[in-house]
Amino acid sequence: MSTTTLSKGQALAFAAPAFIAILPFLVACVYILRFSLSAEQGVIEGISIRAYQELMTPFFGRSVWLTLKLAFIATVIVMFMAVPLAFLLTSLRGSFARRLLTVTILLPLILNLLVQAYGWILLLGPSGALNTLLKSLGLIERPLFLLFNETGVLLGLVQTSLPLAVFPIVSAVRGISKEHLEAASSLGASNWRILRDVSLPLLRPALVGAASIVFAFNASAFAIPLLLGGRRVQMMGVAIRDMISPLFNWSGAAAAGMILILLTLFVLVVSAWLVRVTTVKTKG
Amino acid sequence: MRVGLLPTDRGGSYRFVIMLLAILGILVSALPVVVVTIMSFSAAETSGFPPESYSLRWYGEVARLFTNEDSSSAQSVVDSTVTSLVVALIVMVISTGVCIPLAYALARGERRVREGMELLFTLPLVFPLVMLGIAFLLIAESLKLELGIWRIAIPHIALVLPFVLRNCLSAMNGISVELEEAAISLGASPMRAIWDVVIPLMKAGILAGLIFALIISFNEFTITFFMYTIDVSTLPIWMYSRTVSSLDPSTLALSVFIIAADVLLIVLVDKLIAGKGNLF
Repeated sequence: MSTTTLSKGQALAFAAPAFIAILPFLVACVYILRFSLSAEQGVIEGISIRAYQELMTPFFGRSVWLTLKLAFIATVIVMFMAVPLAFLLTSLRGSFARRLLTVTILLPLILNLLVQAYGWILLLGPSGALNTLLKSLGLIERPLFLLFNETGVLLGLVQTSLPLAVFPIVSAVRGISKEHLEAASSLGASNWRILRDVSLPLLRPALVGAASIVFAFNASAFAIPLLLGGRRVQMMGVAIRDMISPLFNWSGAAAAGMILILLTLFVLVVSAWLVRVTTVKTKG
Repeated sequence: MRVGLLPTDRGGSYRFVIMLLAILGILVSALPVVVVTIMSFSAAETSGFPPESYSLRWYGEVARLFTNEDSSSAQSVVDSTVTSLVVALIVMVISTGVCIPLAYALARGERRVREGMELLFTLPLVFPLVMLGIAFLLIAESLKLELGIWRIAIPHIALVLPFVLRNCLSAMNGISVELEEAAISLGASPMRAIWDVVIPLMKAGILAGLIFALIISFNEFTITFFMYTIDVSTLPIWMYSRTVSSLDPSTLALSVFIIAADVLLIVLVDKLIAGKGNLF
């Protein structure tokens, strides 16, 4: 062990380049905090909580409420699809089928968001695929308005955040030992019973963790509400951008951003705590 | 009888519901990309679905966009594509270059330090992208920094660090200290042992990190949306400015190339880290 253990100085030298690379990010974090406490809208000047006080408007309140609502609904929908997808992905035998499904699920998270917005516009637009299909089936007479409202944004959020839930659940499913399931099955439990009493409790830490990440990701969404919601769906990301772009209210945007950051951090910390509590329970 | 989470026999209502939800998930994931691909082969100007007839005219349009240097537009598609690729290259080289030594130091260092550092380098992942964009814009604007292409490269580096570090770390996990010690006992210097023994063993993880950096930087929209200028803008921004009022079918043809490149790169990463670690 002696020769290859790094001394403190060596370890620091090895870590230094990475610190320099992440430094702008840390500076940016501090800068946002400082700007949110500025007494002036356009420059950093003095210290006051004016920017936060000015946010206490019905408009911003509605934006926070809409953000929480859409992020919550999207998270629930995502979880209902992510668990079955994880079961399917882990039970696939062929490596081609597994790879195809992996790529299909993962692609929406990393693919250029514009391309996906184009897809939803083509699908949900007045003369889009869904309306054409429903009309030809005789289910509707006039096209449904699914775009530039909350429905379109919700679908976009579900699509882009689904992979964030599926992959952590997949690794948790791989960790479930077959013996638990076999024991329950040989005792005559039905599939639903096994799901409720064995699989889901074993998966609980992963489910809580995945749900919190999906929620935080969706609450801070920007491109999806911008591209699919138009001006009408003012989630916090879009509202913050509007403070800067037409209004030049930098300190207000910084303060609203701090609220958004605290909100997502709060959800992540609470869920990390929940994971710890539930893990201890299942062990004991 | 096989007992699993997805029973093949005596499934009944359970198997039906699970499969139904899974298929719904697959549809939500895949349909937008599928529709973009189909519509890019449309012969019509309109975006009605399904297309009345098929052609390659929009692909010809893309080729024309790339070959005809259009001097009237402030930023041509060629310029934005070149900027996108240069930024991606800078991001790949720097993020991987700084993460390899860090991963080595963390893997060989104390456990407590390692956990803290991993947390620090995960922060850009949980930080709202829109705030990252605004924060970097605030700094660049209020300090009047002339950064050129680094305006976009610096935030992108911060964004990809969590992914690159995770790949390098999981590559380091499989490399035992004994291998280095063996090299040193045979007369290699510690640095030589790292260079000739550890780095080659980390190759798959390093490559996966490089590809992750490329994919994320090349597809990034939100931060760049705040940071771009007339002189420095990327391909996603060009696509946005072109389609902000109405959907232009030639951007759909361009999208298909991006989709194909992304699929190829994901398959590559998946193969590289198959069996070890997860994509996330």
